[in-house]
Amino acid sequence: MSAHPAAALAPAALEAGVQRVMVVCCPDLGASEPDPAAVQRSEPAVAGRSEPAAAQRFEQVIAAVTGFCPRVEAVEPGVCAFGARGPARYFGGETVLARKIIAALADLGEQARIGAADGLFAALLAARGAERILVIPPGETAEFLARQPVSVLAGQVPDGQELAGLLRRLGLPTLGDLAALPAGDVAGRFGVAGEAAGRLARGLGAPPLAVRPPAEDLSVTREFDPPETLAEPVVFAAKALAERLHGGLAARGLTCVRVQVEATWADGRESRRLWRHDGLLSAAGVADRVRWQLDGWRAVPPGTEPPGPGPAGQERGDGGVAVLRLAPDHLVRATGHQLALWGEAVVTDAVARAAMRVQALLGHQAVLRPVVDGGRNVCDQVTLVPFGEKTEPRLDPGAPWPGRVMGPAPAVVYPFAREADVTDDSGAAVTVSGRCVASAAPAWLAVEGEPPLRVTGWAGPWPLSERWWDPAAARRRARFQLLTGDGRAWLAAVQDGRWLIEAGHGLG
Amino acid sequence: MPGTPLVRPALPVSPISPVPPALPVLPALRELLPRGGLARGSVVAVAGFGLLALALLAGASAAGAWSAIAGIPEAGVLAAVGLGLDAERTLLVPDPGTAWPLVVASLLDGCELVLLRPPARAPAPARQRLEATLRRGHGVLVVAGDWPGAQVRLRVVTQGWTGLGDGHGRLRACCAEVTADGRGEAALTRTRWLWLPAEDGSVALAEPPDIPAADIPAAGLPDAASVRYLRTVGGLALVSG
Repeated sequence: MSAHPAAALAPAALEAGVQRVMVVCCPDLGASEPDPAAVQRSEPAVAGRSEPAAAQRFEQVIAAVTGFCPRVEAVEPGVCAFGARGPARYFGGETVLARKIIAALADLGEQARIGAADGLFAALLAARGAERILVIPPGETAEFLARQPVSVLAGQVPDGQELAGLLRRLGLPTLGDLAALPAGDVAGRFGVAGEAAGRLARGLGAPPLAVRPPAEDLSVTREFDPPETLAEPVVFAAKALAERLHGGLAARGLTCVRVQVEATWADGRESRRLWRHDGLLSAAGVADRVRWQLDGWRAVPPGTEPPGPGPAGQERGDGGVAVLRLAPDHLVRATGHQLALWGEAVVTDAVARAAMRVQALLGHQAVLRPVVDGGRNVCDQVTLVPFGEKTEPRLDPGAPWPGRVMGPAPAVVYPFAREADVTDDSGAAVTVSGRCVASAAPAWLAVEGEPPLRVTGWAGPWPLSERWWDPAAARRRARFQLLTGDGRAWLAAVQDGRWLIEAGHGLG
Repeated sequence: MPGTPLVRPALPVSPISPVPPALPVLPALRELLPRGGLARGSVVAVAGFGLLALALLAGASAAGAWSAIAGIPEAGVLAAVGLGLDAERTLLVPDPGTAWPLVVASLLDGCELVLLRPPARAPAPARQRLEATLRRGHGVLVVAGDWPGAQVRLRVVTQGWTGLGDGHGRLRACCAEVTADGRGEAALTRTRWLWLPAEDGSVALAEPPDIPAADIPAAGLPDAASVRYLRTVGGLALVSG
């Protein structure tokens, strides 16, 4: 038995950072059953059997367990886990600790089972066993796992139930049999699920945790004393920091959607920026973003005169970077599914780098991608989405939009409508009555900030009454097309008695 | 081996270089540009921002190039898409701020086409640095505004809209006279009448019968640019200036 491949792998798994994990399982509060046969769910349990009371009781359980160990992670309804090494040493051993927790939970009226093992997966299985307390001694986890039937994979890996059935039919009834197979072959034959299952069977991979509280101490910080005035050493340190960050995330089976880079300068100013991560950035990639952020900061320090487009000044008055911090934002389970980084495959690396460089200079919102959208007004028909975020139209651009102004789309669409004065020949303002009749023919158009222009052609008013059912969003407007003496065409609207220029066809 | 010559003739140089020398443009604009396209590494200036500037991007974008529009928050993306611009391959930087030369240089790293409206006074050193960046890369900078070093300069000399009357009708199409001149091979002034846009939103060459007032420039005026006059021909208001 000791020659079992899985057993042989265990020390390596330990060295790879597999921690002692204790799992507290309250079968009453979740879908987790002590009977292994009942574990064969295809879906991980959600929301505590839709019983709010169970969720509340589980909160109390977590609060009680937090009394023993501050960093408790809720695994699924009724199951929470924590790193056992520290608390066990403090309380005098894992079994003693487990007994204390069971006693504390019994005071709350909860029946708990506790398992401890190397890694979350094994601890989870131990907690689901028949005994109240099952502690798998360090180093024996692989043997313990090897004895488990493959059915325990259900709910732990994608399509675990089907995979378990398949493995049984292939004559691999236990995790030990699976662990004995070469990892590459397992991945090749069974895909992502097989690879995850293989890792679990070897005691390597732990199912990811949702950390409570999220991200609190997964951030990594480096202080520079004295403050670092050159960019290169900071970027170099950022790479090491990013490796630590990734290591911390990977140990918990997590990945982050974004990473926040915070740099604090010696004079107390801070630069914070969120970068898209999606678990796909390497440490060097994170370091690149740190470099761009520093570059951007150096190019245009806020509140000061920009030094111009010249090379970033070597000696600046900010005193250098004092603290660099990387914080993961929006933690998600590392599922191994790699979607295209930008939602679609069209964005090439060069474009992504260029866009992110500009984002480093100007901010996340400064680089936008247009999405053709539905809507009746020209300003609604294009939505701008910051680069790196998902581009989806809000409204269906293909749907019919009666009330759209006919004619070619204007080349100039003002993001904010410009105020204008439109007057008739006598100099009186042109108004539109409630029945949508213009008071006179427009003769002069004075767009704010421009000299008055002679109107040489016009048409309208075309009424548009939108969202009349919603008092907050309702608006009524009468639209005009105007042609002015300089050859420009304008799309104007009268709303609440004011003339607004929405768009136009410019010169050139 | 006695039969083997010691010196082999050099392989003939492939006539197709890996990077085509010019980015494609819409067919209607080909005759205005010296190489029938936007020469890589060059600056093309359009006198003001309008459909012509967007039309210059559309051809290459439709062919798969990435383009960026910087400093023009009011760029009508829908009109550009109507011309063929691929919105999925377009980046917008509405406000590049005071660091605009750096922004444009960064954009040129990823995009083959950058449409820029520079601030009113673009300092010469900044311009020259950008031109150097352009020459190293293979992008094209289309400037909406003034750019003294531009290889090609395009200008809408005259434009007249059809379809809009005095209180009736609607805007349908715009017939515009566009001239192109510049330096070097573009020195010769070229003039074309274009539908900018045509009724379907595209850009097309205007046929001679469509050109409403081709006789106007020949009307014996000493300096057409200094005179503004308005004439109505068949419902079309035509302005020259």
